[in-house]
Amino acid sequence: MSVETQQSVATLRMPGGLGGLLPALILIGLFFVVPVLALLLRSVTDPAPGFQNYAALLGDGTYARVFFNTFLVAAVVTSVTVLVAFPVAWMLAIMPPALASIVFGVIVLSMWTNLLTRTYAWMVLLQRTGVINRALMATGLIDQPLPLINNLTGVTIGMVYIMLPFMILPLVGTLRAIDPMTLRAAALCGASPFQAFRRILLPLSLPGVAAGGLMVFVMSLGYFVTPALLGGTSNMMLAEMIAQMIQSLLNWGLGSAAAFILLVVTMALYALQLRLVGVRRATGGV
Amino acid sequence: MLLDYDRMGWLKVALLGFTALVAAFLLLPVIFIVLLSFGSSRWLAFPPPGWTLKWYQELFADPSWLEAALTSARIATMTALLAVVVGLLASFALVRGQFRGREILRGLLLTPMVLPVVVFAIAIYAFFLRLGLGGTTIGFIIAHTVLALPFAIIPIATALEGFDKSIEDAAIVCGASPLEAKLRITLPSIRIGIFSAAIFSFLASWDEVVVAIFMASPTLQTLPVKIWGSLRADLSPVIAAASSLLVGLTLALMIVTALLRRRFQT
Repeated sequence: MSVETQQSVATLRMPGGLGGLLPALILIGLFFVVPVLALLLRSVTDPAPGFQNYAALLGDGTYARVFFNTFLVAAVVTSVTVLVAFPVAWMLAIMPPALASIVFGVIVLSMWTNLLTRTYAWMVLLQRTGVINRALMATGLIDQPLPLINNLTGVTIGMVYIMLPFMILPLVGTLRAIDPMTLRAAALCGASPFQAFRRILLPLSLPGVAAGGLMVFVMSLGYFVTPALLGGTSNMMLAEMIAQMIQSLLNWGLGSAAAFILLVVTMALYALQLRLVGVRRATGGV
Repeated sequence: MLLDYDRMGWLKVALLGFTALVAAFLLLPVIFIVLLSFGSSRWLAFPPPGWTLKWYQELFADPSWLEAALTSARIATMTALLAVVVGLLASFALVRGQFRGREILRGLLLTPMVLPVVVFAIAIYAFFLRLGLGGTTIGFIIAHTVLALPFAIIPIATALEGFDKSIEDAAIVCGASPLEAKLRITLPSIRIGIFSAAIFSFLASWDEVVVAIFMASPTLQTLPVKIWGSLRADLSPVIAAASSLLVGLTLALMIVTALLRRRFQT
């Protein structure tokens, strides 16, 4: 291309730069930023100006329990998800493509199936007289039905089920990017498979594990549907408490303050993830 | 040889076994719900004492289910349309524009994906109550488009980054107007991204529960709100019938996606 045409193309490139962002910015500004800021304002003005809503939330044992419980569930769900997802992602990264596409198909089917449908299935499966309890009793492993629902066990099973695809899929990418030669070299140098795993494969996949794990943790912290349906009243999570404060108790001040605490924690962890992996990786490669 | 599939020995057998177990775990609820919907026990006993179609009859006899499904389809279609158009324009600016603060704007537009939905739900609920948009179709579409926008921007921007802009420039040099070049060269080239954006933003709205629970009114209910209400009341097998139809829809969507992808790539 001659210098002249390059210049004329360069001038053609200019229009449409920022203008295209306008509709998106109006939409997000007016219907996302403004409402969220208005909510924040409400948390310090409703019912009277001041920080009494935050004082009430942070000073009360009942609310402290909900905060503790939320973090506990998110931590348990994240740990289990990472442990289950890693071997699956490992195999998916090196499997023959035909076999891998079957497993990917199952993952996508589960991920795209309506969230409430999946949760409903677990509600039925885990109930006292459900299939899982009956099967365990038939094999003689237990003689009383296990309490699998309306408690932490139910929430963990249901949440791990929903989070698995979000952990497996990015991890496959991380593992595929590792050069198999590094492991061959380790074997040649006399490393046992366990040593090669601990000193080579695990450290090299750690960025992917950390990014995926953080994403699952953040998503679990604010999750509403599954904990509300599979959890019990005695171990409520933050999102459900916020919904209840607004919908049933109509306590907008307290609800907004709790929502703002959830927002700050989530955004702080998100910022940490951005520092860890960069904007592109954190948002799936945009 | 931990990354060499053919030389892993017993470890491969163990890991494959584990992978099969996880796949079964992921598949279990989906298959279970379909079987359950044909079981004759009102109390969801499994395996069921007999097989029946009565839950599907009950489902279709109650017009509120069909109405909710149609409402959801209408809102999700409008959401997908809006999100793709707005997302397409934004993606061009984000990928090609060179201005300060581009990364910040990118982050801002993707924030609705990260913020817990319950926070956005009560914020937009309060906002729409004031504007008189609560419980309206327009309100639903706006709120869902905000949530769907990141799911539209990500695939389109990814496709656009993989597209060699010099092809578009070549068309312009050959006499096409910039708009013409975009419409006839660039858009067809990134159609996989646009198509994925449409599917993802449709699903983002079709599946959305939390905002919908707050926004719904007695006269305007989406399908997830209807299911949510039934779930809270009882675990009736009619929900299993409705759920099975949704599983069928997901499968159909997956098959269409796979076929279109194959066609696009050849």
